[in-house]
Amino acid sequence: MTGNIIEIVSILAAAIAVSFGAIGPALAEGRAVAAAMDAIARQPEAAGTLSRTLFVGLAMIETMAIYTLVIALLVLFANPLAG
Amino acid sequence: MDSPLTLEPLFHIGPVPITAPVVVTWAILVGLAVFAAVSTRHLKLTPGKVQTVLELFVTTVDGQIRDTMQRDPAPFRALIGTIFLFVLVANWSALLPGIEPPTAHLETDAALALVVFIATIVYGIAARGMKGYLGTFAEPSWVMIPLNLVEQITRTFSLVVRLFGNVMSGVFVVGIVLSLAGLFVPIPLMALDLLTGAVQAYIFAVLAIVFIGAAAGESPGRPTSEQGETSS
Amino acid sequence: MTIDWWTLGLQTLNFLVLLWILKRFLFRPVSRIIEERQAAAHAALDEAEAARREAREVRDAAQVEAERVAAARSDVLAAAQQEAEREKSRLLKEARAAADTALAEGAAELERVREAQARALAEDAAQLATDIAGRLLARLPEVARPTAFIDGLAEAVADLPDATRAGMGADTPLRVRAAQDMAEEERNMLRRRLGEVLGHSPKLTFEVDPGLVAGLELVGPHAVVRDHFRADLERIREELSRHD
Repeated sequence: MTGNIIEIVSILAAAIAVSFGAIGPALAEGRAVAAAMDAIARQPEAAGTLSRTLFVGLAMIETMAIYTLVIALLVLFANPLAG
Repeated sequence: MDSPLTLEPLFHIGPVPITAPVVVTWAILVGLAVFAAVSTRHLKLTPGKVQTVLELFVTTVDGQIRDTMQRDPAPFRALIGTIFLFVLVANWSALLPGIEPPTAHLETDAALALVVFIATIVYGIAARGMKGYLGTFAEPSWVMIPLNLVEQITRTFSLVVRLFGNVMSGVFVVGIVLSLAGLFVPIPLMALDLLTGAVQAYIFAVLAIVFIGAAAGESPGRPTSEQGETSS
Repeated sequence: MTIDWWTLGLQTLNFLVLLWILKRFLFRPVSRIIEERQAAAHAALDEAEAARREAREVRDAAQVEAERVAAARSDVLAAAQQEAEREKSRLLKEARAAADTALAEGAAELERVREAQARALAEDAAQLATDIAGRLLARLPEVARPTAFIDGLAEAVADLPDATRAGMGADTPLRVRAAQDMAEEERNMLRRRLGEVLGHSPKLTFEVDPGLVAGLELVGPHAVVRDHFRADLERIREELSRHD
């Protein structure tokens, strides 16, 4: 049964990691998009440059969520405790 | 469900186990080599369509390097361009059915990051000399030496995990949705993967430029930007 | 978590091979062709610049030439204008001189005519006055008696030079012309008076000449002594005529 407990805990840990890890990047992406919208509203002629930079920035921010996903997958599929 | 973190060897060449990413990479390598050889065989001063695209690509890479490093882009052009091109093609190879992109596996990303890491050291030493390059770890003071060393490792790992996580998660999500919903549902996700793949290729290349540029430092003979600044 | 080190190594190798291939077959030729095109563009630009400079020089030269031609033309124009001005002023001066001459001649002619007219007028007037005086005196016979002129004639003879006076009446008779016939006593009286003045008694012949109006005239071989209105009137008339 120890193996089962570890698996249950691993699944819980993965879910918690992804859910909480998604909070920060979600807020950050929201702020980034809001700021970009504000900037585009002020300067519509710079929309091209702004949106390109926004996409790159969003990808960088999203990477933080990806990190938690990687950790979650590590816990799920490559758990060293599960053997 | 298969773990995205493990690799099963397809076959062995002698003692060497050959895995699926290696085979796909070979295919990409051959495809790019043939494309490059064919498309650059008849270069003319008045370019055709393919040549125009190639020149636009090279010029854009040059512009990025020049903007970021404030240096002559010639020594870095091939490395940065190859990184971008390979990562882009590898990411987009997921479009072909039955093929898993090589970058969705940790080993390929680690290999790329390793090349960037070594290139950082090589270019840094080439630009500043051994003593000068080691001196950059003591900036702004010697207290920062451990922190700078750790930063070298962590940013390389960050590079690896960023690319791996993005591509792998895309493939993983598409796989899950495909197993749940069937035929046409994953198509929007695959389109999203195309965007993610392009952006990640760009980010990987730009971060490589930034790392190498930081190691090589500001060039004493700063190149005057003769060509128009290419915005990213 | 396991990392397949063989795969890692192979991928690194693959990437390096790809790097070499792309560098050899893609980046080097493409960047070279870009540089060639830039060089060609620079050459073309330089050429265009040179051509433009040459064109500018040619244009400047043409402009200088045009300015020179314009200057020469304006010089010629100015000279011609000056010449014309001079000619005009000369012609004007000549015309004015001719006009002045003609005017002066006209004025002189006019003066002369006027003078002649005035002289004729004066002569006419003098003639008229003489006529009027003669006619008026003719109506006064008593006043105009020769007797009244005897003393005047004698005084006039006395004023003559001595040689002339001595010759008078000595050899040839003196002709006495009177306006009216003289009586005998008047003739004697005249003879006596002349004798007193001349120192000898002259021989006298008497004539009547109404043209004298009134008075006497003594005509000698060498001298004529007049004492009559005719002579006076003649003198007055001459006097009047001379003044115009």
